[in-house]
Amino acid sequence: MSQATAIPAHDPVRQGAHGHAHDDAAAHHHPIYDYDSGPPVDRAKFAIWLFLATEVMFFTGLIGTYLVLRIGTSSWPNPENRLAVPITAANTFLLITSSWTMVRALHAIHNGSQKGLIRWLGCTILGGATFVSVQVFEYLELIHHGSLPSVDIFWSTFYAMTGFHGLHVVVGVIWLIAIWISAVRGKFTPQNYLRVELAGLYWHFVDLVWVLLFTIVYLM
Amino acid sequence: MTNDHDAHPAFSANKIFITLFILTAAEVLWGAVLFKHSPHLVKWGGLIVFAFWKGILIYTYFMHMKFEGWIVKCLIAPTPVLIAIVIFALMPDVSNNSHLVYPVGSQIDKSGTHPGKVVGLMDHPAPAEGSAEAPHH
Repeated sequence: MSQATAIPAHDPVRQGAHGHAHDDAAAHHHPIYDYDSGPPVDRAKFAIWLFLATEVMFFTGLIGTYLVLRIGTSSWPNPENRLAVPITAANTFLLITSSWTMVRALHAIHNGSQKGLIRWLGCTILGGATFVSVQVFEYLELIHHGSLPSVDIFWSTFYAMTGFHGLHVVVGVIWLIAIWISAVRGKFTPQNYLRVELAGLYWHFVDLVWVLLFTIVYLM
Repeated sequence: MTNDHDAHPAFSANKIFITLFILTAAEVLWGAVLFKHSPHLVKWGGLIVFAFWKGILIYTYFMHMKFEGWIVKCLIAPTPVLIAIVIFALMPDVSNNSHLVYPVGSQIDKSGTHPGKVVGLMDHPAPAEGSAEAPHH
């Protein structure tokens, strides 16, 4: 049986990925056991990667179903005749750019720049919000022209895949807005910005999924 | 042993971003202009290469996977295996499609008048009742 003791200041297990204490017990010198049955990585980061792994499987199911239907169907409409590929290509550039601004935000707070964090996070939110706005506009135009999910298998798979991705973008934007508000309040320091990193991981994942979806749905 | 990683290892985010930008432009050029009417093998093959290249760059650098400790790498390692299982599980639906009672896509219009339009299963009447091939509803 381990003896009750305070967490050593240099303990990377207890302190998380950034070398700073995430454990309130340690901060307040509460005695806790010095063993740890958890994974040797920050719990929040472990959890987000586990969550992202499940998300990968979710989109694998969607894309897999689409490919079976697509390859198994003798006549499949040319996406270019039905979808606005140039506009969506521009939207793809926008989402990739927002991923880059997210990296810049993380680098900014790592270097102690609060203003940089707020500015780059703002750019990321703007990019994400614009992406969703363009997608909503696209949906409205398609629906206006009678292209509903019930019309054919092309539209049902299109709305299923892009719709679920769009939902993920909306969640990402809301998450980033929450992070931005915390940043404005000065909650993050070069020693404490794990929440920014976690939101960034989710955001990059959303970007990664879109890179694949754009290729499969719009170009193939 | 530590699984801690350098939170911000040195890599040029700008270079990755520019590469992603160029790859996206090349991909659109490939799929929508240069090989628009090429056989699927050429068109799709190129597009998949571009898409995976971009995905790997985002995963490796923007998501910092290259710089993560072993625990995170082990955590995500089963995912590609599971994806492969899903793909292999779906293969029979594609490769044996023509042998199915109701092949995938059989309800889609084949005349070309309305590509992708669902026309129902009327063109493919169910086998006689009692037949071994009768579908289970």
